[in-house]
Amino acid sequence: MTQADSEHAYRGQNYEELAPLFVEFAGLDKTDRRHAELRDRLVTEHLPIAQHIARRFSNRGEAQEDLIQVATLGLINAVDRFDPQRGVDFLSYAVPTIMGEVRRHFRDTGWTVRVPRRLQERHLSISSAISTLSQNLGRAPTPSEIAGHLGISRDEVHQGLEAGNAYRSSSLDELLSDTDEIPLGDAIGSSDTELDEVENRAAIRPLLEELGERERRILVLRFFKSMTQTQIAEQIGISQMHVSRLLARTLSWLRERIEVDVPPEPVKD
Amino acid sequence: MVEVRVVADPEQLPVMRAVVGDLAMRADFDVDTIADLRLAVDEACSSLVRIAAEQSQLVGRFRAENDVLEFTAEVNSPDASGPRKNTFSWRVLSALSDNVASSVQESEEHADGHVVRIQLSKGRMVHE
Repeated sequence: MTQADSEHAYRGQNYEELAPLFVEFAGLDKTDRRHAELRDRLVTEHLPIAQHIARRFSNRGEAQEDLIQVATLGLINAVDRFDPQRGVDFLSYAVPTIMGEVRRHFRDTGWTVRVPRRLQERHLSISSAISTLSQNLGRAPTPSEIAGHLGISRDEVHQGLEAGNAYRSSSLDELLSDTDEIPLGDAIGSSDTELDEVENRAAIRPLLEELGERERRILVLRFFKSMTQTQIAEQIGISQMHVSRLLARTLSWLRERIEVDVPPEPVKD
Repeated sequence: MVEVRVVADPEQLPVMRAVVGDLAMRADFDVDTIADLRLAVDEACSSLVRIAAEQSQLVGRFRAENDVLEFTAEVNSPDASGPRKNTFSWRVLSALSDNVASSVQESEEHADGHVVRIQLSKGRMVHE
């Protein structure tokens, strides 16, 4: 490795001394204990780079800790995939890799538009107000009831509800609920019977099976069991706004898939 | 009454969703009804966009009165058959609305064209 010093420096920090470790690391078998040791060290020593990149993406509506975690994941991938034989130094490989990971995070799980922190917090407080009020009232609350409960204006509630729609699969929601293991129960069995009335069921059924358990369950409860979003939210243990987003996402996914997979069927009367 | 005209393209659907969401919030419908209306408008418009003639407009008409929100969407389509009722999509629409219907009419503006409409309505939930 004979690159100039500047290529091993990032924000005044020089990482040149780590370069030989990459050569050793690349030559080790993954089962070798030294491999794990070196991997730890390489990741730890380069952490300031991941943290710096995460900071560059802050104020975009994601929690700083989440961003650092994602950037660190990018760094780990970079350490694992870096090939010192290619003649490129680690930094020029790692920085775009980490940035790519963070960007992907925003694309996949973040707000689809930039939503100020203040609105996100309002979104969260409205979300929990909906849950509290639903339990007290035995039904979904209206925006004016939410406004009264939180002591904010109707307009602010509108903004918060609207902001909720700009959020895709949300890490905040994921944090608030633990829904990995949802027993399917008899929901799917009965959906099959209900599906019998549906003409394109042959196309729908395999698509339903492709859905995550939670998405499928929500779909069945809403469209075949006539449960309201609030009731589903309570049963599954996530917020009503989250149910709403998952339904929107699932329906749009199904539409795309049905469109692609099934040519229009012949018209029949 | 609010009328929105956009190009019949899936990219334009957020506009329709936003309008219905806003009207439903202003009418102080409960959050379930607001969310269902958004999904229903999305589903209805998506079905129509799929059968719309090229260059067709998607017209959405919204009316909120007497505790009911009514929505009508229409496109021009070369197809005279209209949306089919025994599909998953129609099932979704029916579950999300109180009433849903479709109609097909010969177009006055386009030779061989048809105006295909989906109308739906949803009222404030009655709570005892």
